Amino acid sequence: MVVDIAARKWMYERMIESRYFDDAIFAAYFEGKTPVFNMAKGPVPGEMHQSFGQEPCAVGVLAHLGPDDVVGAAHRPHHVAIARGVNLDRMAAELFGKKTGLSGGRGGHMHLYDKSVNFFCSGIIAEGLGPAAGMAMARKVQNLPGIAVAYIGEAAANQGAFHEVLNMASLWKLPFICVIEDNKYGVSVPKRLSTAVERNPNRGAAYGCFGEYVEGNDPDKIYAAAATAVARARRGEGPTILELETERLHGHFIGDPAAYRSEAERGAQLDPIPVYRRRLLENGVFDEAALVAVEARVKERVAKSIKFARDSDYPEPAEALDKLYA
Amino acid sequence: MAAPPNASSAGQSDRILTMARAGREAVISEMRKDPKVFVIGEDVGKIGGIFGTAVGVQEEFGASRAIDTPISETGFIGIACGAAMAGMRPLVELAYVDFFGVCFNQIYNFAAKTHYMSGGQYTMPLTMMIGVGGGYNNAAQHSQTVYGTFAHMPGIKIVVPSNAYDAKGLMHSCIQDDNLTLWMVHKATCGLGWLGAPLKTAMAAVPETDYSIPFGEARVWREGTDVTLVGLGLTVHHCLQAADLLEASGISAEVIDLRSLVPLDRETIFASVSKTGRLVVVDEDYLSFGVTGEIIASISERDPRVWKAPPRRVAYPDVPVPFSRPLEDFCMPDAQKVVAAVKSIMAPQ
Amino acid sequence: MTDIRIPNDLWDDDREGVIVSWIYKDGAVVESGKVVVELMVEKAQMELSAPASGRLTILAAADAIVNRGQVIGRIE
Repeated sequence: MVVDIAARKWMYERMIESRYFDDAIFAAYFEGKTPVFNMAKGPVPGEMHQSFGQEPCAVGVLAHLGPDDVVGAAHRPHHVAIARGVNLDRMAAELFGKKTGLSGGRGGHMHLYDKSVNFFCSGIIAEGLGPAAGMAMARKVQNLPGIAVAYIGEAAANQGAFHEVLNMASLWKLPFICVIEDNKYGVSVPKRLSTAVERNPNRGAAYGCFGEYVEGNDPDKIYAAAATAVARARRGEGPTILELETERLHGHFIGDPAAYRSEAERGAQLDPIPVYRRRLLENGVFDEAALVAVEARVKERVAKSIKFARDSDYPEPAEALDKLYA
Repeated sequence: MAAPPNASSAGQSDRILTMARAGREAVISEMRKDPKVFVIGEDVGKIGGIFGTAVGVQEEFGASRAIDTPISETGFIGIACGAAMAGMRPLVELAYVDFFGVCFNQIYNFAAKTHYMSGGQYTMPLTMMIGVGGGYNNAAQHSQTVYGTFAHMPGIKIVVPSNAYDAKGLMHSCIQDDNLTLWMVHKATCGLGWLGAPLKTAMAAVPETDYSIPFGEARVWREGTDVTLVGLGLTVHHCLQAADLLEASGISAEVIDLRSLVPLDRETIFASVSKTGRLVVVDEDYLSFGVTGEIIASISERDPRVWKAPPRRVAYPDVPVPFSRPLEDFCMPDAQKVVAAVKSIMAPQ
Repeated sequence: MTDIRIPNDLWDDDREGVIVSWIYKDGAVVESGKVVVELMVEKAQMELSAPASGRLTILAAADAIVNRGQVIGRIE
């Protein structure tokens, strides 16, 4: 498939937006946490699972989605949220725990929600699969347009919910795509030590649904494979298990030195963004000046969102008791 | 024996229904009014659920609104959550509360918390119909109530109707509420074929019209002056029986049916104990760390001067539900145990 | 006057059933087609509707053991 230029530009821009955002959050995260690392300290407290290296997985799929579709992400959501168009200021503010955050500070990094773009997260492995499939079902039974895409990691495909949801989604032919980001590690355990099959799309045979594996962590290849899965869902032909080879360039969370991976292994990891940048130049999609301009613009946009987060107020403490019930 | 009073605004009724039939009336009425309401769960479509709360639903509304699922509680509760977040109003059956172990994450971590964690962006208008309770030799994994476990978790509203009139009104309230609501019904009160004849005191006059019973409102079934008896679900009936027995001994018992577990009507309970000074809480859930302790703590922390005698708890011992009849009878709360508890605190101090 | 009779084919064999509950009281006015009584045969639950409109007379009360073909009530 020849990916059209506008899509490729969009994908590059969203990938660097995610990357610059993660860079900025990474820097902010360590404020207040040194010399003694205390997760609760500093402007960005709590755990932090960043998306360095996995950006292609978000842009390649979400390039095909529109406002009627819905996207669910897991505990490593930044690249997916950004590709979905989640409000960047309010997302940053949420990570900083400010009242201007997407949830007024009630959710934090693993619980990002932006209903205006039909985006939600869940913090428990595979917990978001059922809800995403349910949103697909709601569209189908009411003859409403739109599909649901849920993101999980390769290790999450071993959770019981994966089996239950894929069975029902296949049985009922729901307009649903399960995107599996195969970053090769479930925290410290490599896929070959956790999963009895080499590739999760092979599990589609167990449910009678389609599956596809995409190698290379390449936005253009992911885009092509996703086109098929999205079209299939929109035609009412049921779900796809779309597993994408990718790279987790950092540890599982900030603070994880990933010592379980050898130096050689880590040295061999390729950052997909410079690779794509080179290709876009070679293909004439951008020239160097245009790239520099896009990069500067996006970097400034990200900086603005971080500033918004820093400048915003914290919620009043007693607001902790609000919004329990509708 | 006292029968539940009908709210005069709901009108008189000639019909005496079982709880299952009353609950089902509410379900069907809500489904007629709102196309977004649907039923989902195991055996809810073709046979209308094992509690009969969905009988007739698939015939009237079709298979897409009465969905038989595979045995996949985490999966279909998750799917129902998604449908609710997308604006539909699912009614999910969890046949036995004992099964919550296989799907509790989706309930307490996702359904209960999504509104809060999203800062109010997403609502979760999801009702679960859940069968609870024992007393019919179904042993440790099919006889529990675990009210305390669910009540303890933030973000859930829980009702436990004890009779058909409340069953219908509370079902309407649950379906209409925009939050995760649990309609927990004790199997022995339901009026199920497979549990023998229905408990007569759980049957009640039920108007044909729709009516709602608000959350957080306990019902005083019977007024009294010497002791307050608080129950929920089946134990309300034990309390009523005990009150009759106590009357014969010259002891006047006030009987309160919680109806709503969360929110809990602490006001009504406190007002009663302020009057009687004595309290026996009767709960089929395990004794420790649960509903009985919560109710007693609520009174004491508000004003310990109301106590004329120590409070008593008649609850399930902290053991799994045993199978053999004498073993289960030993453990189950009943009217005799309530009477004994009352008499132990009526004795002069 | 119309009998409320348990149909001969309401269940498959000679087993006895039991009246679980009457939805209306003896003497109540009932509408044709409304469910008036619940029966049980072992675990299976069944119901019968009023064959006509009118005043109900209960002949077999709740808990009564009944057979197929039996007249359990009347409407007049």
